Amino acid sequence: MNRLKMVGRRRMVPAALATVVFLIPVYWMLITSLKQREDVFSRPPSLIPLPPTLDSYIAAFADASLTRALLNTLIIAVGTTIITLVVALPASYGLARLNIPFLPAILMLFLVVQMVPSVNLALPLFALFSSAGLVNTFAGLIIANASLAIPLAITIMRPYFLAVPNDVIEAAKTDGCNNFTAFLRIALPVSSPGIVTVGVITFLGAWGEFVFGLALATREDLQPVTVVIAGLTNEFGIRWNDLMAASTIIALPVIIAFIFLQRYIVAGLTEGATKS
Amino acid sequence: MSKDIWFLLPAVVFVLATVAYPLVYNVGQSFFDVGIKEIVQGGADFVGFDNYSDQFARDAFWRATGISVLYTSASVILTLLVGLGLALLFNADFPGRNLLRAFVLAAWILPTVVSANLWRFILDGTYGLFNAILQSVGLIDDDVFWLGDPFTALIGVTAATSWSFAPFAMILLLAGLQSISPTLYEAALIDGASAWQQFWRVTLPILRPVVLTTALICFIYTFKTFDTVFLMTGGGPGGATTILPIYAYDQAFTFYDFGKAAVATTVLLIIPIMLSIPYFRSLRKEDRS
Repeated sequence: MNRLKMVGRRRMVPAALATVVFLIPVYWMLITSLKQREDVFSRPPSLIPLPPTLDSYIAAFADASLTRALLNTLIIAVGTTIITLVVALPASYGLARLNIPFLPAILMLFLVVQMVPSVNLALPLFALFSSAGLVNTFAGLIIANASLAIPLAITIMRPYFLAVPNDVIEAAKTDGCNNFTAFLRIALPVSSPGIVTVGVITFLGAWGEFVFGLALATREDLQPVTVVIAGLTNEFGIRWNDLMAASTIIALPVIIAFIFLQRYIVAGLTEGATKS
Repeated sequence: MSKDIWFLLPAVVFVLATVAYPLVYNVGQSFFDVGIKEIVQGGADFVGFDNYSDQFARDAFWRATGISVLYTSASVILTLLVGLGLALLFNADFPGRNLLRAFVLAAWILPTVVSANLWRFILDGTYGLFNAILQSVGLIDDDVFWLGDPFTALIGVTAATSWSFAPFAMILLLAGLQSISPTLYEAALIDGASAWQQFWRVTLPILRPVVLTTALICFIYTFKTFDTVFLMTGGGPGGATTILPIYAYDQAFTFYDFGKAAVATTVLLIIPIMLSIPYFRSLRKEDRS
């Protein structure tokens, strides 16, 4: 055993080196966003921003179309998260604890649906939303985002409800709870780590979503930030520092959430992708 | 029991209405001549299999399908190699292990839009970091526009895709590695097996099912990737990175031919379904045992 432990310690340096190499792109994004404009175009590029400046961030937040787009993304992501939680939480509770007919078939439906490419939904949704007047609306974008978020949320959430001890639910029922109040008053509070995980994963998914935004919002004042900065790169292909600042702003909520909830997010997402 | 249905009904209805119905509707569209006018006003003409025979007779369609398979296969192989390398490094007890692993995982949860922009910048011919590194060690003298050349552009999007997926593969493979009993390695040590032999004779054979599952999942998810490639190259140069999802998108939103786009998306849907059948079979087997 001791020998195995030693092997472990020796792996620290290569693991650290690999991590550093792997994360060079992220480092590059961060320091480029802190560089002065002239500095970005120096050759060979400088490895540290000297002196660092927040100019690119100030420029990003001064850009009305960019702040508008960030707000759009926030609206879409919050809306998607609310709808997804409201629809998916009772469903995953039902699938975990109640007598639901055709249970395997329904579980299979939610699993298979997650493999559908967004493009496959974006095109018909564009056609359907066109006749329903939902193209270029937040409602349309939220519905589209929720369509794929709900099955994922159910897959992630169901194990949390399965883990609620049966005695607790039964005790609540003898105290006069029916299935719904037991769900509301007992199962939900007990499963709050799961709810946070599902909420965060749903929010982050909608926050970084691109395809639906591209296809279903043709008006720029409704487009999410992911789509708007794609347009930015085509117009000003060489304003790399501004683009990297915008990218960092988009990445920031993801990174913050990840710092605090890393374990839950990783467990949830691998659960969603593999159903193991 | 009948009341229990209400827990589930909203989700089932929502998913049927926003996923199942659009998918069926999309297959339906592939039998109609649908332009932007028909999208807005309705009343498309039924054309039978015309869209299919039109698409299947086009080089561009088969080229996109081929590029999709090539891009996905290359990405999956690279993802597995990098993911396995990382998993082996992290499959040991050392201080700071969890922190380093969390750093690596950050690459995976980064929004694809962000990583796509990042890689576009790094591979830029004039100001890109990659050229700067290669030039500083003397591997190249002139600027290379990686995303401007058909062959290297495909490699570029493959690298970016694998970079995003490798940490995910690492997590799955790491779980597999950790399920291997340490006694097996102790036995191998006693038998005098080198680290290399341990890897080939102990680790890899036991890990095989996990590697296959990971490969399949990565294939399904990479095959449907749209944004990474779309943002890095837009499908160019000269269609060299026009994977099937981009081809479908172009048919719809560049040429406004929704019927023909529906043919491409239908094909896009069929391939992962066929691939996932063995996967679900094995899942069910696992559930039973």
